[in-house]
Order: sequence, then C-alpha cells, then structure tokens
Amino acid sequence: MSESKFETISSLVDNYRASDQRSQQAIDEMLKDEHLSETWQSYHLIGDVIRDEIPQALQLDLSTQIASAIELEPTVLAPNAMSTMSSAIKAKVIQFVKPVGQLAIAASAAGLMILGVQQNTVDNNEIITPTQVVQTKPLGGFANPVSFNYQQNSKSQQQAVLEQRIEQQRRFQALLSDHQQQIKLSAVQDTDKKSIDEEVELDKAN
Amino acid sequence: MKSFLLFVITCSISLLASLSANAADAEQAKLSLERLSESLRQLNFNTSFVVVKNNQAEPYHWLHGIVDKATKESESKEAIDGEASVELEILALLNGPRRDILRINNTVSYIEPEYAPYSISSAQISGPIPPVFGRDVSVLENNYHFVSVGKNRVLGRAAQLIRIVPKDSHRFGYWLWLDQESGLLLKLAAITRAGKLLEQIQFTHLEITDVISENLKQLQTTELPKIIDIAAKQKNADLAWQVNWLPDGFAPIKSDRHRINISKQAVEFILFNDGLVDISVYVNPSKDKQRAVEFANDGATLVLNQVINSIEVSVVGKIPLETAKKIASSVSFNRKLVTP
Repeated sequence: MSESKFETISSLVDNYRASDQRSQQAIDEMLKDEHLSETWQSYHLIGDVIRDEIPQALQLDLSTQIASAIELEPTVLAPNAMSTMSSAIKAKVIQFVKPVGQLAIAASAAGLMILGVQQNTVDNNEIITPTQVVQTKPLGGFANPVSFNYQQNSKSQQQAVLEQRIEQQRRFQALLSDHQQQIKLSAVQDTDKKSIDEEVELDKAN
Repeated sequence: MKSFLLFVITCSISLLASLSANAADAEQAKLSLERLSESLRQLNFNTSFVVVKNNQAEPYHWLHGIVDKATKESESKEAIDGEASVELEILALLNGPRRDILRINNTVSYIEPEYAPYSISSAQISGPIPPVFGRDVSVLENNYHFVSVGKNRVLGRAAQLIRIVPKDSHRFGYWLWLDQESGLLLKLAAITRAGKLLEQIQFTHLEITDVISENLKQLQTTELPKIIDIAAKQKNADLAWQVNWLPDGFAPIKSDRHRINISKQAVEFILFNDGLVDISVYVNPSKDKQRAVEFANDGATLVLNQVINSIEVSVVGKIPLETAKKIASSVSFNRKLVTP
C-alpha cells in the first residue's frame, strides 16, 4: 500500500480534489481494495471526531445504512455539475456494498465451518469414550475457603474439567490418527527390505 | 485283566484320534488361511464391507484384479514394466470425506482429506483388514494358533470359521469366516480372550469375475501421485529411551522423530509389529508434571497416555489395556530427553 494512495484518500475526504482523473482512479482503487475503503471510512471517522460530530451511537459498519439510504434516495437522472463527485461516490457505493455483502456471506460460512468443526469434536467425543474419568481435583489443589463463592467456583471447576476432557480427547484423536498414518508409511518396508538390506551391507563394507 | 487292557487300548486310541483331530484342525485352518492369501492376491473381486465398532458402521468398497501382461500388453506397457501381470486394487471409504487407497503393483496411493495425494512404494494397502492375510500367514505361527472351528452361513454363503488364537494373554484373537467356494473373507472379528467382541468387519457384497471391473480398468491407465521416498526418513533414529518389555514376537519396524499432524506435538516414536498387530510408542516432554494413566478405545484399538516426571508416554495399538500399561511402564531413559 503506497503512501500516496492514502494521501489521495485523505484529500478526497477533505473534499479537496487533485484532478478529476486522478481522484476517479483513486475511488476506483478504493472500491476494489478493502483496505483502502477501510481507510476511507476511518479517515471520515477521524474527521468526525476532530470536528466533534460523532453520533451518540457510534456505528462503524455504515455500509448497510448507506445502502438503505441510497435506496431511499430518488434516482438522479440529470445530475448537475456540482454534484458529479458525490454521485460518483454514491454509485460506486452500491458496488462497494456488494463485496461487503459477499464478505458477510463468507463470514457466516466461516462461522458455520467453525460450528461444524466443533460439532465434529463433539462427535469424536462419542467415538472415543474414555473408559476412565479424568481426575477432578480442586483447581488449586486445596479446599477453598467457605467465603468463596461456591457456585461460581464449581462452575469454573466444571469448565476446567470440561476443558481437560476436550484436551484429552484431542490428544487421543491426534495419537490415533498418527498411529494409523505411521502404519501406512511403514508398509514400505516389506518391499524395500531388499534395498535397505543392501544399504546395510554397503555400510558394513565401508 | 482282559477288559482293562481293552479299556487302555480304547483310551489310547481315542486320545490319539483327538490329538490327530486337533492337528488336523490346525492343519486345515492353516490351509484355509493360505487359500485366503492366495485368493486375495489372485482373484478378480468386487466387494463391499462394513467395519462395525463403537456402535458405528463404516462402509467400504474394495476391488481387486489381475491383468495378464499378454492380454493388455499394448495398452499399458509402462505400467507393467517387466512383470508378468499387473495387480490392481482400490479401497474406498464410502462415508464422509473421500479416503481412497489405490494400488498398482508396488505403488500404493493414498487420497485423504488431511494431505495432498501421495504414493508410497509398497506391495500392500493399509486398510481395516490386516495386510498379513494377503501375504505369508506362516509368520503368525510363532505367536498364534490356528484353529478350524466349524461351518457357518455368512453373506448367504457356506463359510468356514477359522480362529486365530494368541498363544499368550497379551493380544487379541481374530475370527475369520472364509468363503468355502472362493476362499475369500466374508467376516472378520477381533475378540478378547474372554470372548468379548471388540470390532468386526462384515462383508455385504462379494462378486468374483473373470475380467476386471470398469473402475480397475480406469485405474490401470491412471497416473498415480508421485512416490514419496520414506526409506530415507525411516532410518532408525537414535532415541534417548527404550521399551524394555513387549509381548513375544513384537519387533521394531521403525523409529523416528516427527511431529504429530493434528497436535503439532514433536515426538520420538517407535513402531512395533508382530505380523498382525501394530503398536506405536510415543515419548515426548510434557508441560504437565504428572498425569495418571488415561486411555480410550476405538474398537479394538487402545490409546493410552500418561505423564511421569514431565515425560509423556503414549501407547497405541490393537492390544489389551494390561499389555499397553505394561509397555508404557517399561519405558526407560538412557539420557535426558531433549526438548525439540
């Protein structure tokens, strides 16, 4: 990310235009580049803070608001010369929202995947049921004073036991799959025995 | 006096008869296993089976075929490479993400979700069925008895039940139901000494054909992934520890240092095998000071793990708990374990 791009954005935010062509290019770049568009957003925020214009509830993700605002706006059929700049931005904003929407979809997909993984580990717990229960010693290894909030303690203790359990399952799962992998990789010895034996003989000869 | 003599003679005859019957049973069992091995290598079969363990069933499709050089010479000259015939094999897990194992002669390819496809140089695939059944079963005779038990009906076919009984109490037994007609496997069960069923493989479909199936024909023309050279990595590492007790017949197959794929834990590792069963022993420094023995079962496979004096020892394999415990506690250290 070059410094000049940020400068251009900064000047655009301050409503100062170097040249129409250059600012157009800068806007295009900004709309394509998520990082640059974030910069655009944060420069505006900085400006707002400096001017003390921040709203009561600070909403950093404005894209949805912008999108709905645009929907409410009457379509400008013949924009006048003065508003070329702002309408250009608005038009691009729709495109700008799109990738955000896609991002949102991507983010929710990622959420699902994480859920799926968690689900899987739960499944795995069912597959491998430890026959022996994990040791459930008090957390600090000593009894807690009576004044200690008992419920909270037992909760965190349960949490700790649960974490311990999950950790244990992971360990078992990792070992089991590595064991199977190592068996696969060891199968080579049967056919390669000859060459290995030859190697040994060579070593001996040396 | 006469009657006593007669009694002695009858006794000895019946004793001899039962002895020879036992011997004949064992002989019969060995012949059946040898026939199984031959059939697994020489028949064109298209079969499905289900691995049943932990109240779950994993379905597999297994194909095997032999192509003579004479008939297929023009098509795949390269693949044959001087051998009399080409052996083709596919084993595919049908549920969940794709896990396929492909084999053309001595090249075995694994297609798994965890890794990019790779091939290794091996004459056997590593699936749920112990590869020894397709090879020389006589290697098992030192540690197991073969017993021919009786006839049964499995998969709608007449089956001969063969038991592979361990000679000591440190491992599990295996029961095999073999097809009388083809000699192939119809059912396989891993059983504890007390007779408890741990896991079983039930065949659900078996088809023996004269020509190889379409899938195998496709495999024949498929270019397998590049063979990774494991022999170089497999040079036995000089480890800081040793296992002092193992059941008779277990020999080290390989030892190395590697990282466990899931946990990224660096471990020192030895793999042992008695011809039928694999045992992995892992040793690594742990952040915990002590941890009591923990274990879990996946069908017949046991995973055992403990930490003593900040050193974690794990044992994995199809062995009884007592065996694993004994192996884990027999690990001794020659020098301080270096944190990798």
